[in-house]
Amino acid sequence: MRNAVAGAVIAVCAAVMVSAQSKSPWVYYPLDTIQGDGGPAPKRDLSGTWAGPGSTDAIPRGANAERPSLTPLGQQIMSQRKPIGRYGPAGTNDPTARYCDPLGFPLDFIYQNRAMSVATMPNRVVFLHQFGGFWREVWTDGRPLPTKVGGDDRDSLDPTYMGYSVGHWEDDYNFVIDTTGLDERTWLLRDGTPHSVMAHVQERWTRVDHNTMKVAMTIDDPKMFTKPFSLGTYYYRWVPNQKINEWLCVPSETLKYLQEQGDPAGSYPDAQQQRLGGGRGR
Amino acid sequence: MVASLLAMSAPLAAHHGDAAYADKPMEMKGCVVTEFDWMNPHSLIKFDYKTASGELQHWTMEIGSPPSMALLGWSRTTLRAGDVITAYVYQSKSGVLVGRTNKVILADGTVLADRDDSTPSRYGTEPPK
Repeated sequence: MRNAVAGAVIAVCAAVMVSAQSKSPWVYYPLDTIQGDGGPAPKRDLSGTWAGPGSTDAIPRGANAERPSLTPLGQQIMSQRKPIGRYGPAGTNDPTARYCDPLGFPLDFIYQNRAMSVATMPNRVVFLHQFGGFWREVWTDGRPLPTKVGGDDRDSLDPTYMGYSVGHWEDDYNFVIDTTGLDERTWLLRDGTPHSVMAHVQERWTRVDHNTMKVAMTIDDPKMFTKPFSLGTYYYRWVPNQKINEWLCVPSETLKYLQEQGDPAGSYPDAQQQRLGGGRGR
Repeated sequence: MVASLLAMSAPLAAHHGDAAYADKPMEMKGCVVTEFDWMNPHSLIKFDYKTASGELQHWTMEIGSPPSMALLGWSRTTLRAGDVITAYVYQSKSGVLVGRTNKVILADGTVLADRDDSTPSRYGTEPPK
């Protein structure tokens, strides 16, 4: 209890230190969150720079992903995954944690939903994601989703880390995106849940008001799951100065971290399991 | 209020699998910083520590990523080689001289926390209104 109170004082001091600094147009201030709704939502427009739930606790909480019901194939792949949450950096086989491989879509939007910009172009909407510096193109020119990705046919497209996406405005405030063709090397969820290349992810982006938007995500992937399920609902708030900072996974830094810290610390999956079952840990 | 602060800190515990580290931090006074790596995924603080028996130990302890730690008052220039600090660290269960930071106290008395039970949230106390 005493530690908690002392920590609160420390955190308050830190927050005051940050807020007391003079503001630079070149700096992202996650604690400088937008106030109010900013007026009515513009029609058919998500453009702007947004802070997600991974940015600060000030962003409204939505809903977490549901627990999927895996097919036998899904269970088999899942049994080979060693998530960092249990195995730690030393024992995980998470390709992002070990090699800086891209999280890909949709995990980059589920797990690392810190901040992003959205740009509207004549024939597409582009999502510029803070974590990893990735972008996604969502085509709005009416083209259908590809039906052949990752197959042996000559006309089969290559799988991609961000997939193939098409979007349309269902009404003035709801933008629906359908995505498929996702590279199977990426994990669907942080715990190692797999997906197939022809998984179908649907996002419904709602512009609630000028300063707020939210996205509800679902996935249908009969190869891995016995039924469709929700990947969660996430809120975003307008960033006051419209600036976000660079947040990359740099392979040389990750290598240094693993060699000098993560690997020497070791892996204790059994200890983690006991901790998860017996309390919340430190 | 304290209860709500503790509740806010709970989701952070599982990040990056902290089971590799001891449950209680150890205190080390008079540590001399040799290197500060402000980097992803987690920054590293390297320092020399002389034990009570006179043994010189070379430690490495991690804190969070730069954007996260900036919210707690850390920066790229917080530490420089030669700085003397008091380190509170959860040592690796493997027994090697690496650990997860609890907090550091700078020579001028400034206290900088990492995340743990004494840090209600990486992002401050309560969400800004």
